Amino acid sequence: MAEAVALRQRHGEDAAIYAGGTELLLAMKLGVARWPHLIDIKPIGALRVVTATKEWLRIGATVTHWDLERDAAVAKALPALAGLEANVANVRVRAAGTLAGNLAFAEPHADPPTLLVALGARVLLEGSRGARALPVSDFITGMYQTALGADELIVAIDIPLPHRDVRMAYVKFQILERPSVGVAAVATIRDGRFVGAPSVVVGAVDEVPRVVPSAELAGADVRDPGTADALAEAAQAIVDPTDDLAGSADYKRHVVGVFVRRAIGSLVAKAA
Amino acid sequence: MSQRHRVAGTSAPRADGIAKVTGAARYAIDMSLPGMTHVIVVRSTRAHARIRGIERDAAAASPGVLRVITGADLVAAGLTPYYGHVVLDHPVLAIGKVRFHGEPVALVVAESRREAAEAADLVAIDYEELPSVTDALEALAPGAPVLHEERGERVGDEGMDGGAAGLVGNVCSVAEFGWGDVEAAFESAPVVVEGEYRYPMLYGYAMEPYNALAFFDQGDLVVYSSAQHVYMVRRDLARMFGLALARVRVIAPYVGGGYGTKSYTKVEGMTAMATYFTGRPAKLDCSVEEAMLTTRSDSAFIRARSAFTKDGMLLARDFEIVMNSGAYTDNSPLVNQKTANRCFGPYKVPALRVHATSTFTNTVPASSLRGFGAPQGNIAGELQMDEAALRLGIDAVELRLRNLVGPGEELLPGRRGLDADLKDDLRCLAVSLGWPGVGAGSVGLGVSASDAGAYPTSTAAVRIHSDSSVTLFTGSTELGQGSRTVLSQIVAEDLGVPLESVAIVSGDTGVVTYERTTGASRTTTVTGRAVQEACKDARRRVRELAAQVFGVPVTSVEDTAAGVRSGDQELAYGEVIERWFGAGGEVLGHGAVRKADGFAKMPPFWEIGCSGVSLTVDRETGVVSIEKLTTVGDVGFALNPALVHGQDAGASMMGLGAALHEELVYEGEQLVNSNVVDYRVPRFSDIPKDVDLILAERRDGAGPYGAKGSGEGAGNTIGGAVASAIGRAIGVFPHQLPATPERVWRLMQESKAAAKLR
Amino acid sequence: MARREIGLRLNGTDRRLEVEDQVLLIELVRGLGLVGTKLSCDTQVCGACTVLVDGRPVSSCTTLAIEADGRAVETIEGLANAGVGAPGSEAPTLHPLQQAFIDRFAFQCGYCTPGMIMAAKALLDEHPRPDAAAVRHWMEGNICRCTGYATIVEAVLDAADPAARERSLP
Repeated sequence: MAEAVALRQRHGEDAAIYAGGTELLLAMKLGVARWPHLIDIKPIGALRVVTATKEWLRIGATVTHWDLERDAAVAKALPALAGLEANVANVRVRAAGTLAGNLAFAEPHADPPTLLVALGARVLLEGSRGARALPVSDFITGMYQTALGADELIVAIDIPLPHRDVRMAYVKFQILERPSVGVAAVATIRDGRFVGAPSVVVGAVDEVPRVVPSAELAGADVRDPGTADALAEAAQAIVDPTDDLAGSADYKRHVVGVFVRRAIGSLVAKAA
Repeated sequence: MSQRHRVAGTSAPRADGIAKVTGAARYAIDMSLPGMTHVIVVRSTRAHARIRGIERDAAAASPGVLRVITGADLVAAGLTPYYGHVVLDHPVLAIGKVRFHGEPVALVVAESRREAAEAADLVAIDYEELPSVTDALEALAPGAPVLHEERGERVGDEGMDGGAAGLVGNVCSVAEFGWGDVEAAFESAPVVVEGEYRYPMLYGYAMEPYNALAFFDQGDLVVYSSAQHVYMVRRDLARMFGLALARVRVIAPYVGGGYGTKSYTKVEGMTAMATYFTGRPAKLDCSVEEAMLTTRSDSAFIRARSAFTKDGMLLARDFEIVMNSGAYTDNSPLVNQKTANRCFGPYKVPALRVHATSTFTNTVPASSLRGFGAPQGNIAGELQMDEAALRLGIDAVELRLRNLVGPGEELLPGRRGLDADLKDDLRCLAVSLGWPGVGAGSVGLGVSASDAGAYPTSTAAVRIHSDSSVTLFTGSTELGQGSRTVLSQIVAEDLGVPLESVAIVSGDTGVVTYERTTGASRTTTVTGRAVQEACKDARRRVRELAAQVFGVPVTSVEDTAAGVRSGDQELAYGEVIERWFGAGGEVLGHGAVRKADGFAKMPPFWEIGCSGVSLTVDRETGVVSIEKLTTVGDVGFALNPALVHGQDAGASMMGLGAALHEELVYEGEQLVNSNVVDYRVPRFSDIPKDVDLILAERRDGAGPYGAKGSGEGAGNTIGGAVASAIGRAIGVFPHQLPATPERVWRLMQESKAAAKLR
Repeated sequence: MARREIGLRLNGTDRRLEVEDQVLLIELVRGLGLVGTKLSCDTQVCGACTVLVDGRPVSSCTTLAIEADGRAVETIEGLANAGVGAPGSEAPTLHPLQQAFIDRFAFQCGYCTPGMIMAAKALLDEHPRPDAAAVRHWMEGNICRCTGYATIVEAVLDAADPAARERSLP
């Protein structure tokens, strides 16, 4: 680990961190990026594990989507993440690609960031000036942009372990190779009402995951269609999609509404 | 008709099975030679521009580079720098100007692919930009930039050329015909349906991208290629280098997908130029992106109207068609003609007018793709049957049944009568799909009859060896359609030998017999007949030898299952051969068919499309799910039912791709989805929930045992059928494919808005 | 360019090879004559280049050859017993998947087939008895342009349960 940090410090922007390589090699082949050096962090055994404490599930930086799809602790504590991971890209990308790499690349049309933001996950970084932790929502700063320092690397992703009665859902709309709308919803539902405000995040539709303002819906009746409608409208108001091959901005905004309703519907079904 | 067969009609395992499941099958892209160089193509970054100059010194001096070749080099060397089977207008490398973004401008030939690629970045092209046009309707408008100031020489033969009349501006070709008093019919018709329909430009995505390996062998040009039509490519290459046909050898080993996309010359000319200028074997492998910049299908804009009586009888149809054919002629005149021939459907139309214009635009050149012309036109013709049925209050299947052409009746004057029973096929289809609909599914279906563009020039040879085993030689290329299997079955059937003892050699113009093309679903029907003639000829030769062996007149020698008999003497082929020669030996049988006898009338067969779907629409997102797919393969006789099923399943799945997702998108001058990430082809998740592949075998084809072509028909009707089913689901018929979720959603929004207005 | 020596087990045989850092796994295996592995989309979308590394399916078009160091790499050539099609060889012993692909006509042009079969092998190695939905989900990232896929699903199911194949073949 220390060696990796030292190499990162020495080469700075001239080196890329290499783990799964699925995004990295693609970018290099397409000529959109070129690095003289790659720092292979896969040999660092400590980064290859998923560990659980009482409060956190810690996913090491070289843990792949494939691993997460099969991890018993993930399946038990974070079923929505297990389901999401089983549907990232295709089986080969899942076999090689890592969750940390997915975050580091900050490809906007991705699944994991949306749910991780909704779950309140944080990214653990290590650099020459020491370690720090950033919420995923702060780590991803833009399209293909992150707060990762030139001398830093991701050590792990920490996901707070949800309370037993927390429900979570991730649903996505995908026509092409990558998702064009992803909606994550995490909430506690008791007696047909939200306990506190639900956490709803919309991703893949524009530059970064968007947290849907939901404070007003604290304690709302989840079976009242007005609740999901209000969240859908709030989501549509905060996203800023653009026209592209996956659809027009209008259409994508419409689909955001549909999928927010579906995500909430799924939470309600799970709470039942 | 209970003709009995041993091998024909059985689902014999594929002749290429073991090779393909073990990775042993070799494709052109797998070929390499000692001393082989690698070619990278430098492509235009302009849609329409004059080339002022090409700076290539830096690239030429780059490590490993042997040569940088431009169009001017080809001209200076006195070569014929153009190719094309209809019009000689497609430059091997741009000469003087470029006509589409992605057009090959120069070749970098180097010791390694990496070195060639690095040097290619150093080639600097100085362009003088010209106004460009990518839309076909705009290209036909007055004042549009003209792509071809001068027209190329017309080189198409009888099967290829539709004539040069009316070719002004950006008109690539015109197809026009009709009969009856169309205007009068429309004026007096009680019901007229009108509309505009759009079919997208598509990329076939054969998974093996275009590639070739070329070298000269004592002055003879040898080219390994991913081509479907090796003999057509041979002619183009011979013309380029001024070589006799015998001096050009084109070899297509296994081909990784064709679907028409590998018809005609693609990268063979460039590869041959690389070897010509360097004296070294040269290999050119396209990436998929480059393949997408090489050939696409013609898109169509169709303005159509149909007139009906109150009881649903067609009175007249009128089609105005504009095809976007890209920068060069290639196969577009034929596609245009076929769109015209196929748009009005297999119906009795008392008065008809069809006018189709193939149009040059500054886009990737269009050429063949599975069913060409049929899917483009079918959506217009068939949707109008559905729209009329709705207006008339007549069941849409019943409406079709009232108008369909019957067996033996003419669709086009002077052409072969219909060799199919479409009414029966359609009834069968309707039953399978639960017409007019069961449960939540909305049903759409369609019919078509395509005049197969299979000019019936075909030859074959069989060699019977001294152990009675047989080698078949055919110019038909194995694209995956199963030609090796089916043609072997014909040999085994007709010569009475076990299938295991039939070997096949194909796809090498230096070795095998002439075959005009491997396209238009011709192989089983046309090549199959040539193979039968070859078997007959071989049997005749064996009888002649046997007469000498037996010392009897040849008239007293008769055939047995796998040999001959004279009186009570019986010999197998091999025994006749061994006795006649004394030691070793073989018998050669040659077969040929031409536009005569059974194939005197074109088309050699009508390829039938009869397929449909049951689907549901997600009301919130517009996403379409295919609940059931049914195809009725009216193939006369299924020589190998499993292979016919494979063709019908594959063609209809490709049809579903075009119906729901596939479309090449131009934004400005550039193709923006020239990769498989953004160009979405069907996946495992797109398998319809239920698939019913029905075969209708009535032995009514001109091919062996009554067979006729298959492989395209099932897909030809899918686009229209999907649009029709969506229309029934949401109350408004999509007139544009693909019916993407957004397009379907928008139609639902519009129809809701319209309902509110009412 | 940096070169380094790697050691891998390739189709069951230990190999020591010197490779340049930037060489891709597909270039390595094809360069060794194992050209059954096919390149198509070159963007890890189509699956034609699928090989197994330590049993997991990977896109060899987007994997560095040096990744194979210390690992087991399987290509389509490693699946059947050696000697398939060689003169005088025993009848070829095909992997159940290979036989099922032949029996079900689960390919046409065959270009996607090596990748298809390798992806399916990884599936069956982990889940010996998948259902049709599991096969479709696992294989979603492998493209076939010829067959329409249904016969491929049938073939994989057959290979998983030869007894079922006996019952259902025509």
